[in-house]
Amino acid sequence: MTTTVLPAAAAELGEGPRTARLAREAIASGLATTLLGALGLVLGVVAIFGPTRHLRIDWLLPLAGVRFDVDPLGGLFIAVTGAVAVAVGIYTVGYAQREHWARFPMVVLPLFVAGMLLVPAAGSVPTFLLAWELMAAASLVLVLSEHNRGAVRFAGVFYAVMTQLGFVMILLALVLLSAAAGGDAFTTIAAHADDMSAGTRTAVFVLTVLGFGSKAGLLPLHAWLPKAHPEAPSPVSALMSAAMVNMGIYGIIRIDLQILGPGPQWWGLTLMILGAVSAVFGVLQATVATDLKRLLAYSTTENMGLVTLALGTASLLSASGAPDVAAIAMTAALLHVLAHAAFKTLAFLAAGSVLAATGLRDLDKLGGLARRMPVTTVMFGIGALGASGLPMGAGFVSEWILFQSLIHSPPDGNTLLALAMPLSVGAVALTTGLGIASMVKAFGVGFLARPRSVAAEDARESPMSMLTGMGLAAAACAVFAFWPALVAPALRGVLDALPEVGGDTAGVQLATFLRLPGIDGSLSPALLAVALAAGVLLAFAASRWGARHRPAPVEVPLWACGAETLSPRMQYTATSFAEPLQRVFDNVLRPDTDVEVTHFAESQYLVEKVTFTTRLADPVEQRLYTPVVGAVIALAQTVRRAHNGSVHLYLLYGAIGLLVVLLVAQ
Amino acid sequence: MTWIGKIRRVGRIVEPAPAAPEPTVAPPTGVRGSLQLRHVDAGSCNGCELELAGAFSPVYDAEQYGARLIASPRHADGLIVTGVVTHNMHEPLLNTLAAVPEPRVVIAVGDCACNRGVFATAYGVVGSVADVIDVDVQVPGCPPTPDQIVTALRSVTGK
Ligand code: SF4
Repeated sequence: MTTTVLPAAAAELGEGPRTARLAREAIASGLATTLLGALGLVLGVVAIFGPTRHLRIDWLLPLAGVRFDVDPLGGLFIAVTGAVAVAVGIYTVGYAQREHWARFPMVVLPLFVAGMLLVPAAGSVPTFLLAWELMAAASLVLVLSEHNRGAVRFAGVFYAVMTQLGFVMILLALVLLSAAAGGDAFTTIAAHADDMSAGTRTAVFVLTVLGFGSKAGLLPLHAWLPKAHPEAPSPVSALMSAAMVNMGIYGIIRIDLQILGPGPQWWGLTLMILGAVSAVFGVLQATVATDLKRLLAYSTTENMGLVTLALGTASLLSASGAPDVAAIAMTAALLHVLAHAAFKTLAFLAAGSVLAATGLRDLDKLGGLARRMPVTTVMFGIGALGASGLPMGAGFVSEWILFQSLIHSPPDGNTLLALAMPLSVGAVALTTGLGIASMVKAFGVGFLARPRSVAAEDARESPMSMLTGMGLAAAACAVFAFWPALVAPALRGVLDALPEVGGDTAGVQLATFLRLPGIDGSLSPALLAVALAAGVLLAFAASRWGARHRPAPVEVPLWACGAETLSPRMQYTATSFAEPLQRVFDNVLRPDTDVEVTHFAESQYLVEKVTFTTRLADPVEQRLYTPVVGAVIALAQTVRRAHNGSVHLYLLYGAIGLLVVLLVAQ
Repeated sequence: MTWIGKIRRVGRIVEPAPAAPEPTVAPPTGVRGSLQLRHVDAGSCNGCELELAGAFSPVYDAEQYGARLIASPRHADGLIVTGVVTHNMHEPLLNTLAAVPEPRVVIAVGDCACNRGVFATAYGVVGSVADVIDVDVQVPGCPPTPDQIVTALRSVTGK
């Protein structure tokens, strides 16, 4: 008797202290993240408006020393990262407890934030690389927090390889730069940038665009993003998708637009093409994705593509002698970085809330959450509205400004501009349209109608701390949707520091009315919202007034196409919603579809069952990565022949190596 | 603007409509020339469906008299039922009728729907449409011609 009771009692006894410890650790980790974020936010804002601040710690890094120069551009990115970390930190307090996080990720989370805060603050190449590696390594550890799942381990390896590949390119580029400039401080490099040879500049441009582009999730080195972001715990996904990808954008602005800028026209054009292709490809994959977090990850590729397109536009326009429009494009890029950080944080945190409540990411199994998790549903709705780029959403104003800059490029007979701008307008329009489809799918299928699984039926609302974290992000979304003028001084401060892309011109006037100097187009997001709200109220009142004389409503059964009851299986799923689009973009998406019909043994006119399978892999990954990985493996196999385990052979290799060194050094 | 001018010059070139039939029931919505119908095949041989399709085709054009076939019974003013009521379609027919807001009409098309027709002694049959639900208009014929169907529809639309 006692033997059977004892283990249960022991478990019960152990449970209390364990949860208490978990709660303590979660609060400590979340609070540390939030405080770090708040510190970053304050320092970033101070840096945007103040003079550049310097800090040198010579003993911290041998040979080079650590050096921080915080200027307005770096300040903006520090502030964004800090703001994201504040929301994520509060959210993590609840999330880590609900998901029973181990101690390790809780320790690494603040470290990750610290790494991201240090990257834009770095003032010299070694410091930059150090901070970059801290960020990359910490995020890798966090991606691997649920390492007992195979998919997570695969994503982790994929991420590790690609992020290091990107790092190598950045390293090479920065080393080239410091060698050419004769110093490793960014200020020294900037001072000598004009004397560098065209070859060096081109090599650095290509390497940085690839390296930083990979971090920002741009094609063709984007493939880690839709793997790592969904598999990471949701607060980490939010940090990665809303803050870490920005570091890629920061790198491109810092090196290619500021230090080396203004570059030749083809630089801008390259960025535009890369951005447009990434945006369209990302949004296409998002429309057909059925995994909620994968959808959001592809939407990150899309939005970073739009930002890069805007950066390219700014670069091209300033190289073509239209700095005033270039400044408008640059404003669009910066504003979109901010807005994207707000709505993507919110969307990922809400997706994490769903994941914690149901254990599901598959949209085809979700549904019916609006009743069960009302706050999370509203939060995701706000985030999705922002991501779809519709009015009243956080992403609308920046996309509108981007459109204006594309449409109003100077019509001075420049063939390049005359071709690039309309094509970009088309790409952005397609992206926005498909973006709406993907977000409608995510919200409609995931949250509305009836639950498609038992797990979704049993969902319960998340704890207060998670809702508070989301609430903060939602408030930020509201700012960008209705009152972007609030960040206008900050954008002005950053633009003033970027004369290379027309920062010294008038730029966009963000106030109650958003005006573009020299262009007759203006917009007032706040008044638009007021007008819309008034219209809705009016329509509601009118319909109530019109309903005065209607007979009392009667209760009738739901219409189920003639069947007795309505079952969740009759609903639209994410797959069926995206099917028409998948058909239209068949050539790009290349779905792997299989229909298998089994007949009854008695007669082949009677069908026993039909199995339909469809698999959507990333076509770029399949076409581009598979051959490269295959070649690397083949090469490794060849090299392996030299490693047969014989000590004598290895000694011989050592001797030959030494001989070569001696000969060369001699 | 030439195409507008052309439309004006050419004018209507349809055959004149035959005289309107005697009204059988008042239009359910109280408006002449607007009748939205949901079609239910309760167990027909599909002969009646072909004629129904003919009635709504450009040749007979039932829509010019205000009758339309629509997808949702929620938006409908009535049902148009073809075929004898089979066991399998009995429930769905009742469910569909329940989904149509009142006041509504039920039009039974074809001998099967009116009096079981050729399936009078067949197995698996519940009965004619009138055995199951209240029928307002009956269109006899196996199958009825599109003209007959159009006439029956006009007797409800009042046009
Ligand atoms: S009435 Fe004649 S044509 Fe119509 S369903 Fe019956 S058998 Fe077929």
